[in-house]
Amino acid sequence: MNWFIETISSSIGKKLLMAITGASFILFLMIHLIGNLTLYFGKAVFLSYVAHLHALGPLIVAVEIMLLILACIHVTTGTFLFFQNLYARPRRYAVKRWAGGRTIGSATMPYSGFIILAFIVLHLSNFHFVDLSERTIFDVISTHFSSMLYVFIYTCAVVVVAFHVSHGFWSLFQSLGANNNKYMPLLRVLGLIFAVSVAIGFGFIPSYVRFMI
Amino acid sequence: MTLDAKIPAGDLAGKWDRYRFDCKLVNPANKKKFTIIVVGTGLAGASAAASLGELGYNVKSFCIQDSPRRAHSIAAQGGINAAKNYANDGDSIFRLFYDTIKGGDFRSREANVYRLAQISNNIIDHCVAQGIPFARDYGGGLAYRSFGGAQVSRTFYAKGQTGQQLLLGAYGALMRQVAKGSVTLYPRREMLDLVLVDGKARGIVVRNLVTGELESHAGHAVILATGGYGNTYFLSTNAMGSNVTATWRAYKKGAFFANPCFTQIHPTCIPVHGEHQSKLTLMSESLRNDGRVWVPKQPGDKRNPADIPESERDYYLERKYPSFGNLVPRDVASRNAKEECDRGKGVGQTGLAVYLDLADAIKSRGKAEIESKYGNLFEMYEKITGENPYEAPMKIYPAVHYTMGGLWVDYNLMTTIPGLFAAGEANFSDHGANRLGASALMQGLCDGYFVIPYTIGGYLASSSLGEASANGPEFSDAMAAISDNIKHLLAINGKQSAISFHRRLGKILWDHCGIARRDDDMKKGLCLIQNLRAEFGNDVRVPGDEADFNQALENAGRVADFLEFAELLVTDALSRRESCGCHLNVDFQTPEHEALRDDENFSHVAAWEYSGRDKEPVLHKEPLVFENVALTRRSYK
Amino acid sequence: MSRTINLTLKVWRQNKANPGGFETYEARSISKDMSFLEMLDVVNEELIVAGKEPIAFDHDCREGICGMCGSVVNGRAHGHMEKTTLCQLHMRHFSDGDTVSIEPWRARAFPVIKDLVVDRSTLDEIIRAGGYVSVNTGGAPDANAMPIPTEMAEKAFNAAACIGCGACVAACPNASAMLFVGAKISHLSILPQGRPEAAKRAWAMVTKMDKLGFGNCSNETECEAECPKGISILEIARMNREFFKAAFF
Repeated sequence: MNWFIETISSSIGKKLLMAITGASFILFLMIHLIGNLTLYFGKAVFLSYVAHLHALGPLIVAVEIMLLILACIHVTTGTFLFFQNLYARPRRYAVKRWAGGRTIGSATMPYSGFIILAFIVLHLSNFHFVDLSERTIFDVISTHFSSMLYVFIYTCAVVVVAFHVSHGFWSLFQSLGANNNKYMPLLRVLGLIFAVSVAIGFGFIPSYVRFMI
Repeated sequence: MTLDAKIPAGDLAGKWDRYRFDCKLVNPANKKKFTIIVVGTGLAGASAAASLGELGYNVKSFCIQDSPRRAHSIAAQGGINAAKNYANDGDSIFRLFYDTIKGGDFRSREANVYRLAQISNNIIDHCVAQGIPFARDYGGGLAYRSFGGAQVSRTFYAKGQTGQQLLLGAYGALMRQVAKGSVTLYPRREMLDLVLVDGKARGIVVRNLVTGELESHAGHAVILATGGYGNTYFLSTNAMGSNVTATWRAYKKGAFFANPCFTQIHPTCIPVHGEHQSKLTLMSESLRNDGRVWVPKQPGDKRNPADIPESERDYYLERKYPSFGNLVPRDVASRNAKEECDRGKGVGQTGLAVYLDLADAIKSRGKAEIESKYGNLFEMYEKITGENPYEAPMKIYPAVHYTMGGLWVDYNLMTTIPGLFAAGEANFSDHGANRLGASALMQGLCDGYFVIPYTIGGYLASSSLGEASANGPEFSDAMAAISDNIKHLLAINGKQSAISFHRRLGKILWDHCGIARRDDDMKKGLCLIQNLRAEFGNDVRVPGDEADFNQALENAGRVADFLEFAELLVTDALSRRESCGCHLNVDFQTPEHEALRDDENFSHVAAWEYSGRDKEPVLHKEPLVFENVALTRRSYK
Repeated sequence: MSRTINLTLKVWRQNKANPGGFETYEARSISKDMSFLEMLDVVNEELIVAGKEPIAFDHDCREGICGMCGSVVNGRAHGHMEKTTLCQLHMRHFSDGDTVSIEPWRARAFPVIKDLVVDRSTLDEIIRAGGYVSVNTGGAPDANAMPIPTEMAEKAFNAAACIGCGACVAACPNASAMLFVGAKISHLSILPQGRPEAAKRAWAMVTKMDKLGFGNCSNETECEAECPKGISILEIARMNREFFKAAFF
């Protein structure tokens, strides 16, 4: 077998795939978050950010394709891991208590992952694959978030994302081997800060749009 | 039959060199044609199997545990000796040799012990090369410490887990040979008989402990590295599975058993807590480097140790042995602890304990340093007793730990059965009547890595060995006998468990042939053992099937052997009309209660020959000749 | 305070004829100074005298170093105390009237042999793939020829302290053996003696582990929390580095 295929199909190789793709999403989330924060400054600032973003043209398309590929890898590998891990323990424990290593974030990774996947589909259909010939993206946003259901779904989804990255952030460094006893506490804290930032930054957008604008 | 130890002629220092030159070699191409059976995967067994595999022999390695890495060598804590003289404190090969001979109270063979001291240095080199994480000093050199019975620092260690690290090294070497195909592993197999063809050891019969099937394995030589028989006493620091079965059955096939009464009682164990206690835990004797042993001066003083002022404490080892103090050899320390407790000065609930106090060391050197040295031992103590040793002194009491006796072997480590070798604790060779600390690991690895690979070659090259088939009549007879034996055990269908017999046997031995022995007691003990054995034969209950994973059956078989062996142990103790090392007969002691040897009449190895069921064993004596050391009375004052 | 307690045990029983299920036993007058295994001894002795098959469980040294014992007690590998093997778990940590569930390690790679006894030979197979330094007996240089800093020796020791009990696999939500493998790879890759083979070893051991049916690591750190020797998941990070070196360089 080709060495590369052999590497990425190994257990550590799969961790590597999850870590690299996960890291890209974290990077993307950061940029996405910084961009979206402009919403808190009103319509004009937000639309000017959108205009600047779209001025990048083909670069955006390239990044989108890139993200799509990464998503496919992340989801496929994750699904594979999920079922492989179930298979590794054919009979579950009748009584199981966790020893304190697990967190809500880590224990729910596959489930939060699938929820996020569903959410991304919804999110893209809401805001990406829309006809903007007669309205601005801001109009689309405010239309959607005028519905309490959407506000609720988006807020919950962001919380799920926050939990997912709360484990994903430090975990990717561990998987990459970029972890030692000096940096471990720092990575854990940064992961937490990032998760909280995601939760707050993204989380209040729907309500803000619904109630403040 | 005269016992020929086959010691090479010439001066002591050159014996091993000359032996190796004179030893016949097996042609490298022929080595793979020889099958060598190694029973046991402790330090001696694993290292022997690995080294023989490296040489190209076809090796079969057996152990009763699920993995070779579990062997009880793993529990050795303190360290391993080597005459490196890194400390520049006057150590040398001759000094290690002398200390070991003297520590063994002049009841071991000069040539074997000298070889051990010579090889000690190679062992450390080899283990370091294997990646054993020995403790290091800040310059990157190996750290060393002094250990009971020695005044030089020659003990190398890996925290309190030296045995574990050394065993994992040997296990790694063994697994490397398994990967190469030169060693085949047979875990969860118990050796139940040795098979002789034309008077030579040619194979074994084992029980597959998972399926219950009996299996025959034929080979050209058999090595027993099955450890000691300390568990005869039921409560000991040995693992639960440690047993005498393999060596006992070899004895019944003609291998002589040497010095079975030499049973070392280790001074620093955690005291017994109750009736259902299954084993005793050792606290490394390295604690005696920094710890001070004491009891209250006043018998029956039940105050908290912290409430007993300095002036009312008796640091009896320091008082009686000013030059060695707390570092006296194990037998001396154990005996003194028992004496103090017999005087009513024992502490703790049962009154069967003395204090081992590290408070002074913690005060002068800081908790951090003491923790780095003994942290894991303290943790272990706290887990077992629920008491914090940083705050209150530890309570310790002697417990059966190591057995110096074992199958009689010559300089080649071959028993009286040609082709049957014994290595490590299973043989009797190097420790005389008392083993010094950090010497067991050294001996196990010396035998396995460096001695047996040579001597077995010499045997194979100079013997004419035809093919032996595992289907031969000798094997099928042995299997039939074992099968009958097992069926018999299952059929007794009495009312008591095997473990309850074992517990009673242990009590009999401890009370009648323990730290200090009396003729009357021992004679009474013999009767009690015989009665217990008869009761066992009528009233043991072994549930379950023969063809199944059946731990009750395994245990019953082992207890049956302990019951037979115990009689030999006491018989040997009775026949040795002197005190030496760990064997203290109260009729033979100095006015200061020290062991009084009788070099004129008992400077020999007592090797016992099996002469049939319910018949007295026959005693053979191998005289010990001392050409290089003067026999002195051990004094640690 | 009473020195003894009574417990109800729910023990997994399984053998060739019985595919497995829980049976209930009463453990009466158990001294608090007993270890968990001594408590099982007491129950077993009663079973033997009654002519019933005792509960099969693996055990040997009973001082927490051989790695032979281990069961999931009340949902925790080796019980609920930190850095403890089952033989070191003492009954003083239980209360009178407790119900205690006892199950074997559960993993595809550890098939049950009987009751609480599992087959862990897969761990041996992983070591066989490369868990050693390839040095033959004889001819080693002087032990002090290569200085090794204290810190390095200690780091290696901490990884080498693994007792191979399999609690990491049992505790891992995914039944992964990464901590076991990481510990051995780390121990040998930290020390200069193990460096020459470090990459090859990591590759061989990891790919072997994958073939044996263990799960994958998802950094849940349950292994570290349950390891009786307190081995850190940082050993897994180090193993990952070694593996990447082997794969990409």
